[in-house]
Formats: sequence, C-alpha cells, structure tokens
Amino acid sequence: MPRFWTNPEFVRHRRAELRPVRAITVAAVVVLMCVLLGLACWSYQQSILEQALANASKQGAESIQEGFARNTWLLLYYWLVGLQGVALTFWTLFSCAQSVSGERDLKTWEFQRTTRLTSAEILIGKLMGEPILVYFAVLCAAPITLVAGLAGGLSLGTVISVFLLLAVTSLFLGLGGMWLSTLMESRTRGLGLMGALALYGITLGMFGMYESGMPGLAAISPVAGMIQLLGDESARVPAPVLFGHQISWLLMGALLCGSFGAWLALMLIRNLKRDYPEIRPLSRWQAIGCAAFLNFLIYALLRPTPLKSSAAPGWFTDAGSVALFVVAMNGLILFLMGLATLTPQERLKVWRLKRATGESALFADDGLPWPWLGISAVVAYALMVWGLLAWGHTLPLDMGTLQAAAIRLLLVLVFVTRDVLFLQWCMLTRLRQPVVKGVLFLCLYYAAATVLTALAGVSSEAAERWMLALLTPVLAFDPEVRGIAFPAATYAGLALQTGVIATVLVAISSRLQRPMRAAAAA
Amino acid sequence: MIEFVHLRKEYDNVLAVEDLSLNIPEGEIFGLIGPNGAGKTTTIRMACGLLAPTLGRALIAGVDVAQEPERAQQHIGYLSDFFAVYEDLKVWEYLDYFAHAYKMPEAEIPARITEVIAQVNLEVKRDAMIRGLSRGMKQRLGIARAIIHRPRVMLLDEPASGLDPKARLELRNLLRSLRDQGATILISSHILTELEGFCTSIGIMEKGRMVRSGSIEEVTAAAASTRLVRLSWAGDSLAVAEGKLKSDPRISEVNLAAGMGTFRFSGAEEELAPVLAALVAANVRLTSFGEVKQTVEELYMKLSTHEVM
Repeated sequence: MPRFWTNPEFVRHRRAELRPVRAITVAAVVVLMCVLLGLACWSYQQSILEQALANASKQGAESIQEGFARNTWLLLYYWLVGLQGVALTFWTLFSCAQSVSGERDLKTWEFQRTTRLTSAEILIGKLMGEPILVYFAVLCAAPITLVAGLAGGLSLGTVISVFLLLAVTSLFLGLGGMWLSTLMESRTRGLGLMGALALYGITLGMFGMYESGMPGLAAISPVAGMIQLLGDESARVPAPVLFGHQISWLLMGALLCGSFGAWLALMLIRNLKRDYPEIRPLSRWQAIGCAAFLNFLIYALLRPTPLKSSAAPGWFTDAGSVALFVVAMNGLILFLMGLATLTPQERLKVWRLKRATGESALFADDGLPWPWLGISAVVAYALMVWGLLAWGHTLPLDMGTLQAAAIRLLLVLVFVTRDVLFLQWCMLTRLRQPVVKGVLFLCLYYAAATVLTALAGVSSEAAERWMLALLTPVLAFDPEVRGIAFPAATYAGLALQTGVIATVLVAISSRLQRPMRAAAAA
Repeated sequence: MIEFVHLRKEYDNVLAVEDLSLNIPEGEIFGLIGPNGAGKTTTIRMACGLLAPTLGRALIAGVDVAQEPERAQQHIGYLSDFFAVYEDLKVWEYLDYFAHAYKMPEAEIPARITEVIAQVNLEVKRDAMIRGLSRGMKQRLGIARAIIHRPRVMLLDEPASGLDPKARLELRNLLRSLRDQGATILISSHILTELEGFCTSIGIMEKGRMVRSGSIEEVTAAAASTRLVRLSWAGDSLAVAEGKLKSDPRISEVNLAAGMGTFRFSGAEEELAPVLAALVAANVRLTSFGEVKQTVEELYMKLSTHEVM
C-alpha cells in the first residue's frame, strides 16, 4: 500500500479513468447532487417544522427552530453517507470482480504478467486503481459530508470513523471481487459477476448474525458499525464478544475484515501471475493455517448461553453443542480446504515419479490431499480440546464430550476425504470443468443416498438408520450420543467409506500410470 | 543466453513439450520452426515465465525463469501473435506504463519513449488515443512495448502473423537492428519464408520434441551430404567442362546443358576452389560458379518427419 500513487498499474487507471474533462464532470455532478440533496433535506425539515409550529406552544416552537439547522445537516449527512457507502462498496466490488478476467478477455493480461511488476504490486495497483472513479467521487463529496456531519452535531472522530469503516469494507470487498475475478476465465466472467453479487449480499446479510451464537460475525457487515456510530440508543445492538469480552463493532469489523482480507491478499499474491490452470489458492501448509485460523475464530467469537444463566437459550448451551457445531463447521472447512489443495494432473504425475525414486514425500505440496486433510483434522481437534477447556468455566466439559467429538470428527474426515479424493480423480479424467462436474456428481450421490434411506425407512427404522450411517455422515451429528457409544451402523459406515477411499486411491494411481498423449492436432 | 534444460510440459493428458534441452548463445537469432501444435508456443511461454514447466528449467541470462520470474523478465521482450493494447491510453502513456512496469530508471524513461516511438514510426501519434490508431499502428505499438526496456532477449511467438506486408518488413528491419545491437532472439514461426536469411540457427520441433537444431550450416550439412553447385560459362565448353567435372571422384549428378548446369559436390566449401581453378585452367570461360544454398523451407521439408499430430 505504501506509495500506491506511484504504482504503474494505479497510474494507468488514473490516466485512463480520470482525464481532466471527466474528472471535472464527475466533481461537478457530485457537488450538484450534494446541493440537490441538501435542498431536499431542507425542504423536508421545513415541512416538519411548519407542522410542528402549527401544533406547538411558543417555547416549543423556539426549541424546534433551534434544532432545525442541526437536524437538516444531520439528515443530509445520513443521506450522503448512505449513498457513498452503497456506491463505494458496490463499485469497488464489481470493478475489482472484472479486473483480471477483463484483462484476460482483452488479452492484455499476458503482457502484464511478463513485466517486472510483482503480484503484490499488481494487486495494490488494481485494488486502488480499478475503482478510482468512485474513490474520486467520494473524495469530492467528503468535504461536504464532513461539514454536514459536524454541523449535524456529530464529533469529528465519529465522522472519520464512518469513513474508515466504509474504506475497510470496500477494500475487503475489492479483494474478494479480485479473487473471484482471478478464478474466472473470459467465458465464465458472468459467473464471476454473479459470485460478486452473492458476496455483496452475504457481506451485508451477515448483520443478521448479531443474534446468533457468534455475534461478532455480524461485524463483517458495515451496518453493525454504522448503527453503533450513528444510531440512537434504541437502535443499537449489543456489542459483540471476543473471548468473552465485549468490544466495539468497529474494532470487531476491522479485525474480521483485516484477517479475512489478509487471507484473500495471500491467495491473490500467490496466484496473480500464474497461468489459469496453475492457480491453487493456498499451499498445503497455508491451507492448514487457514483451517486452524477458522477454528480459532469459532472459539474467539463464541457467545455461550448456558442453560443455568439468566439469558435466553442460544446456540451454545453446553460443551456438547459447541463440539457438535465445531465438527459440522470442520466438515465444511475440510471440504473447502480439499478443494483449494487439489493437485493438477501434471504436478501429481511428477510427484508420483519423484515419490517412486524417494525424492518426494507423502506430505508434499504436489501430492495427494488426503494426508493434509488428516493433519488439518488433528489440528482442529487439538484446538477443540483447547477451546472447550478454555470455555470450561462457562460450559462444563466432560470426557464423554471429547470422545464423542473425536469419533464425529473422524467420521466427517473420512467422508470429506472420500469426496475430495473423488474430485481429485475427476481431475485426472478428461472431463471438462472436472471439479464443477465432480461436485455435481457428489450432489447427485447425496440425493440418491437420501432416496435410498427413505426407501429403507419404509421397511423399518433400523434399516433406515443403517442406510443413513453407511452412505452419509448424518448420524455423526446425533446429539444424544455420549462417549464412543455410537450405534454399530456408524462404525460400519466408517469402515465402508475407508474401503471406498482405498478404492479411489487405487483408481487415481492407475490413472497416473497411463502414458501421455503427444501434442494436440496440427 | 537462452537455455532450456530437460524442459517438459504436460497439459492434462497431453504432452506438449518433451525433454527439450537447448542452448542459444548471445547474439544468435534462433528460428523455432514446426507445424501448429508442435510445442513452439508452449516453449516460448515457458521461456518468458507465462507457463511453469512440469519438469526442467528455462534460464534467461542465467536466471531461472520459474524461480526468479521478475529478475528474468527484466531481460525479456515478449511479442506474441496478438497485439492487445490498452485502448483508453495515449500512445506515450502506454509506453510509459510498461517502462515503469519494467522498472526502468525514472530519468531514462522520457528519452527512451521518444526513441522507441521514432523506431516504430509513430511520432505523429505520440499524443493520440490508442483506440483511434489503425490495426497496423497498434501492432507497431505492441512492438515498441516489447523493446521499451532494452531487453537482451527477444521471445517472439509468430510475431508476423496478421501483419500486413509493410509491417512485416518493418518488423524484420527492427529485429535486424536489435540483432546488430547484440540482442538474442528466439522466434517461432510456421511461415518459413519469414525466417529466411534472418536466422543464424534453427530448430525443428515436432510433436513436442526437437527433431534437429543447430546453425543453418550445421543443419544444412546434416540434411545433405553433398552441396549443389551451379555454374555457367560463355562459349562452347560443354564437353571440356563435363569431362573435367566427371573426372573428380567427389563430384556426382553432373547435369550440364548449353552454357549452364549443376553438379553435386561431396567436399567442404573451401575444397570447391580447386575445382573452380581446374575448370579455369581447362579454358572454360566461367561467368558464374557457386553453391546453391538451401532455403529454410527446403531444409524443413527435408528434415521434418511430416507426421501429422
């Protein structure tokens, strides 16, 4: 970020987007809009004042008149901040979401990749340069917004904090958009834009999490911080907790956007200058680090509501419910980690050759993903033990909970490993878009498993449970089970799926032994 | 200057380049020839860091491109068969962007931009928007981009495809001047006449493998064990000339008609001098005598296995 204004990529965008005529026009339009908004606010307040004067006593009328100017400025400030917030976040996200895929489309990307610009320089140049027009528009409106805020009775700190909140959120969204753009080829650009829209919706919608067992997650949405800064007492939501201590929404937002943004930046820096088929979001160790970070975050943001407390029961009433939630989340985390660490066919073949000669280890960056999923699960379990012990003063822990969590996590690990290895096998076939098709096949599999379970349920409940246990990890989430006393069907499912994993590994190995075809047709 | 060490590239199920080892010394112009899909583009893309090799290394000026891409790229000028440019910039702004992106010293940039713009004959368009340039001008601007940072190595992937004849000529002249300045050039093409009289070495690629490589002379020598010599003379010396030539055991396929003809000679180039002297001594009034050089096209046709991939 330092000296981004001399970054060649930023300078290119500045020159292209902010030619003097366009800059003057944008500034004039922004100022005009501010003036029109100001007039509209004045007119609105005037009508309220007239109504109030008609109904008030002389003393009351004086106090209304005194507050007239302040209220008008405050209303204008709210409008300006709202409009700038929407424009800044939306524009930043969507311009960054087209930054790399757009260049791929124009075929200028290759020339940029052959320059001496590092990935970090390209990242900063694009992040600051792609949305430069909206940055400029916000900059033009900033003095008016500042005056409106101060005249509206807000402190300078509050006005600056609002700007910082918007800036942090838009940079975070810009990073997210750029990552989506990196994943899209020119023909899938539309998909990238849909993804950006979904990201926008999710980011804003995260505000709804303030009532959940992890209220801090709501801080990803700038709405929480805005309400804290600008809302009156009645509108404010309870402060989020970090390791059980209340902190401000602003700080929580900065922490979350900063940490998630850092992961996005890491993925971008690793991959920006790579050729499309060689993109791999994270190295194996980084993926384990990311999985550990996400697990850590669960315990950091947890808000337990033990049944004995005066608070209404929430998500986490005892250690068992926390453990169950962590196992479920780890199913998702392990699957995403598996997706992020799938190895391209050529790398896997080289790894296999090197492994045969002893040059490469099982835990290699280009090897199969399953050993790393195992490590990740072990790290997750270790963090779970630590987390539950740390929260032991609020949520008493017993050995049975830890034992049950271990078996549950093992079950989830086996099913996720099977699915990830299946996707890895898909990548070795000649399928077009193998990962997408592989995921669709997995969806079909789980749909079929549901139907089979329902069919088995017609004969008896026991048959239904057996089918469910053999084909899916659902029974792992039975909250009634304590210790290792899971039904036999659960262990049978574990054994069956371990066998399936061995079969998929054999299939992968035989695929890797196939000879290569010579080059494409002339 | 350009070195490939057991370079290999696989795409999914396809082997694009197989165990390619090659060393191109400084100042050489190496023509990579072969049919479409032979692996020429993949090789060049690996050399300029756009593709990571599956195995092996590509070194530019001694720098491993995969390990230190930014350091290697300071030496590389890359030109491909498409000339995509940023349409919303002015000509000088475009070159300024790349000069900064290649991290040239700030003080040198303005003069270098002027110099390069003159080299590609775009002086009058210096302050024009790129979107207003003709296709040929955009192509010339693309060339200017590739040479703005004074690269020691030029990697050119089918650079002349899509160029009009005038632009091709200009490109050829520009590359010649770069060669004269000591640049090493790796150029791929399947249009062999493009490389004629221009390359000092060639490599023939087929099915991802280098079938033959070396200097034009070496490849020619490998391709043909004999030299084709053409001569012409004045007067009626057909019988004398034929007799003299047939008496030399190194000469075969003597094919003479009135006043001119050809023969094949199996010795070295300098060994042709005594043959010429013998003809002159036999009172054959020679008006011309010299080896017929094979064109790159003829060489390729001779050496290629013509396998369709």
